[in-house]
Amino acid sequence: MDTGTLELTDEEQQMLRGERGLPLQKAIQYQVEVGSFFGAKRLVPVTNAHFMGDIEVMGDDGLQRLDNLARQGARCAIDTTNNARCMDLDAAEGLGQDPAEIKKEHKVIRVLRDMRVVTTDTCINYQTVYQPKLGEHVAWGDTGTVIYANSVFGARTNFESGFAGMSAALTGRTPAYGFHLDEHRRGSIEVTLETPLEDLADWGAIGKIVGHPHQDYFSVPVFQGVEQMPSSDALKHLGASLASYGSMAMYHIAGITPEAPSLAAAFDGRAPSARITITRDDLDAVYGAYRYVSGGPNLVVFSGPQQSLLEIRALAELFAGRKVAPGMQVFLTTNHAVLADARRLGYADILEGAGVRILQGVCFYLLQRLSRIREENGWTNLVSNSAKIVNTITAHRFNTVLRRTRDCVDIACTGELK
Amino acid sequence: MKTTINVSRAYGHAVTGEALVMREGFSPRYDLDRLTGVISRIGHSAEGQSLKNKILIIPTSKGGVAAGWAFQDIKEKGFAPAAFVFGKANPVMVQGAILAEIPITDGWSENALDCIASGDIVRVDPAARTIEVLQKAG
Repeated sequence: MDTGTLELTDEEQQMLRGERGLPLQKAIQYQVEVGSFFGAKRLVPVTNAHFMGDIEVMGDDGLQRLDNLARQGARCAIDTTNNARCMDLDAAEGLGQDPAEIKKEHKVIRVLRDMRVVTTDTCINYQTVYQPKLGEHVAWGDTGTVIYANSVFGARTNFESGFAGMSAALTGRTPAYGFHLDEHRRGSIEVTLETPLEDLADWGAIGKIVGHPHQDYFSVPVFQGVEQMPSSDALKHLGASLASYGSMAMYHIAGITPEAPSLAAAFDGRAPSARITITRDDLDAVYGAYRYVSGGPNLVVFSGPQQSLLEIRALAELFAGRKVAPGMQVFLTTNHAVLADARRLGYADILEGAGVRILQGVCFYLLQRLSRIREENGWTNLVSNSAKIVNTITAHRFNTVLRRTRDCVDIACTGELK
Repeated sequence: MKTTINVSRAYGHAVTGEALVMREGFSPRYDLDRLTGVISRIGHSAEGQSLKNKILIIPTSKGGVAAGWAFQDIKEKGFAPAAFVFGKANPVMVQGAILAEIPITDGWSENALDCIASGDIVRVDPAARTIEVLQKAG
């Protein structure tokens, strides 16, 4: 029995031999292969898994694999949630998504529920569902959830994509490499902030400044000079951006995040491989580098990650009494739980009254058939306060522009591309 | 002269094929039209090129967990690459390549962007942890 670089417990060896059923055997075989690539010595128990998979990304083969697992009796051994999907089932047909794929997406959801997945359809599970503790090992998919878990909670996870997340959900374990190990959690890049950050988009912009030139999963930036206590949403935009531009899975903020009581503690004896200073000019240069192209209609999008209740309230205040301008379309995405509360509190009514389209259970860049929908609508520029989404959506050939939240709302309501 | 690059980590069977060299990071979510297998990001160094049967030489990974499913999906659709040769991979690329049983390597002893050009014939040998340039493009 090939266990690669890993030493397995008796129970894990039983799984590998198939004595606990076919699904667990498949899951642990895969974990041994992935773990061995990274030289993992063991599997580590995890308390929580977050699964990424929808019909657009997994395709027919992915659905077939999940369905086979479910039919063979696969059931999540630990609490498992799922990520934002590629369709808001109530809006999918109206948006121009494929009816055949909509059917399959219904099946994905059914199969996940059969396997005991709590289908939250959210990429902000860390704000709305589960908050792991310092040192707690989890197996999360969606890079934004991973970097938040490692950095803000001090929990421990690698990027666990679709089948890796599902394997962890089934075995209750994951290979112990990367951010499960102390040695990879120390800082490697020193970032000094010499400018206050005024908007969520600013937090994303510094993620781009740091991440883009240093693309490396094992780089860990350490920020100093953060004068005001950042909100959860600010840290979410910073992390989502670092993960997107830099493929990074962890950061520290000296004096703020739990594994960085001080700058020295965050580096723990490791010498920084790079030092970056960020000034107001650097921040302005990020916004200044985007160019609009002519054409239309144009989009303003609040998504990637899904909006929290507090972000939605802030947007409702900015949109109150205004209307989306002709030639502009505005989309906002969030999860079901947040939207229910936003409706109860009247924020959703204000936004929809202004002409904002709210989609639930999705992230905008994940939408199935997005390239063709863009062409059919003639959508040209996509403006957002999310540094992540202006990066992740580019395969669909949008011209993307990052702007601060208030500017996004002004652009949406005036049609003036500034 | 034979050029050989040693790699730090590797998975899969040995394969020989034509190289497609990217000058910047890659993610199937950000850069690839997964319905056609063609690089679609405006301004990407491989924009307009198909991944099909190519040995992809890629310096770094971008974010996103899509690759975990996407490599198997594009394999099913008939335009999978022959191998991934990453300077710096992330776990998602590795998880996706292993699910799809496509060879993948990580870490370069030399800068592959200096030694390998698109069109070169390259052999990837995961067991030996080497990348060899067999024939330079004409």
